[in-house]
Amino acid sequence: MTLLPWKRAEEETSARPSVFEDLALPLLPALHNIAYWLTRNASDAEDLVQETFLKSLRGFAGFEAGSNFKAWIFRILRNTYLTSRTGLAARRTVALEEELDEGGESGPGAYPEGAIDRETPEMNLLRLAERAALHSAMEKLPPPLLEVVLLCDVEEMKYKEIAAILEVPIGTVMSRIARARAHLRRSLEDNTFTREFRA
Amino acid sequence: MSDHLSPATLNALADGELAADELASVTEHLHGCSACTSHALEQSLLKSATARAGKRYALPDDMRERMERLVLSQNASNRVVEERTPSLRLPTNRPVRWVDWAGWAVAATLLVSAGGLTVVEVNGRRAQTAAVERAALVTEVGDQHIATLAANLPPQVLSSDRHTVKPWFQGKIPFSFNLPEGLPEDTKLEGANLVYLHNRPVAQLLYDIGRHRVSVFVQQRTAGAEWSAPIAEHVGFRLAGFSTNELDVVAISDVDPVKLTGLIALIKRAQLE
Repeated sequence: MTLLPWKRAEEETSARPSVFEDLALPLLPALHNIAYWLTRNASDAEDLVQETFLKSLRGFAGFEAGSNFKAWIFRILRNTYLTSRTGLAARRTVALEEELDEGGESGPGAYPEGAIDRETPEMNLLRLAERAALHSAMEKLPPPLLEVVLLCDVEEMKYKEIAAILEVPIGTVMSRIARARAHLRRSLEDNTFTREFRA
Repeated sequence: MSDHLSPATLNALADGELAADELASVTEHLHGCSACTSHALEQSLLKSATARAGKRYALPDDMRERMERLVLSQNASNRVVEERTPSLRLPTNRPVRWVDWAGWAVAATLLVSAGGLTVVEVNGRRAQTAAVERAALVTEVGDQHIATLAANLPPQVLSSDRHTVKPWFQGKIPFSFNLPEGLPEDTKLEGANLVYLHNRPVAQLLYDIGRHRVSVFVQQRTAGAEWSAPIAEHVGFRLAGFSTNELDVVAISDVDPVKLTGLIALIKRAQLE
């Protein structure tokens, strides 16, 4: 008997040759969408997804049957992105901001108070209807905040799954989500203000 | 504001992360607080709008097909040997007459020819698979080395003492290796990291040769091709390595190739001790 999961799973893999396709191919659109958001480039996104598929295929022996495949393959996508040229460049760009902001991630109570004390929901509803404005607001998010928004809101993952993918504590996930939404609100308000001012 | 719901609670509510008792208490609060109800609605609207806007990039038309082919080709190369073996079985319990011998002779000739072709084809596929695996390993080793340089963090085990570095991996990796002693004057062990290549645990030994950083990746031997080339190049870095019965070892650096192969030769010799 072996205690090493990658060894144990390796022996089982040959008996389930089609499982990888069954699990991975339905996630292809979601993987590609996230890859495109992260790389901001069609060609890099395709390369990232292809590399993710190759790595996960090779590492499928180490995947424990019954555990969360979606979280597993998204984690591979993210790690592949982080070690890519675009990922390294993005990490260097946000390093200083992360150092400053992460200091406040001691717990969920440390959120900016002004994050929700803004205008009325009705006004925001009008803005939220404008997809282009929201795209622009999302594009302005630093990568660590963009990825939590994508995983939480677009992929509807639980905080626990996101924490496993990002390899951070759940408290950090919660605080990043709060900061990301505060960023989005500010961008949407600035966008509206600019348009009103021009009019 | 202390009587109102906190931003964390409003986020957790929108994300469906509240436990049943918390949800009951929040719902009760929302019944009597219009300000928090507004904020909760706004959170929910922002989340759903972000979810819609986030689904922005559609899969290119042919990408699914390409990925399917990629997966199939990988699986096919794994199965090719198993699939061909049963076709070589012959019946043995039938009485043999002299006319059968001619048939057997023809069959044997065809079998040898087919077998030869099969072996050539299987070897060709194996070589192709090995080349793909080798290219993937080179890319991953390159990415990991670049990431280590970019992160500029101290090693997980920070020591130049091989008797400290080697035991640090006990219980972390399913194999063992030796570290060389008597390094050249300008070469120094800086420490090591536990990293993952192809989702397998790997020891990343960090050496400095002069002012050049060298990563040496030591992993358990896999069924893939052995590392046989003396030196390879990848995005400006040079790679050298070797395989033993138990280990695959690959070093990467931008240092002089002679010094890199010198270091890898010392590590190889240490495995024989």
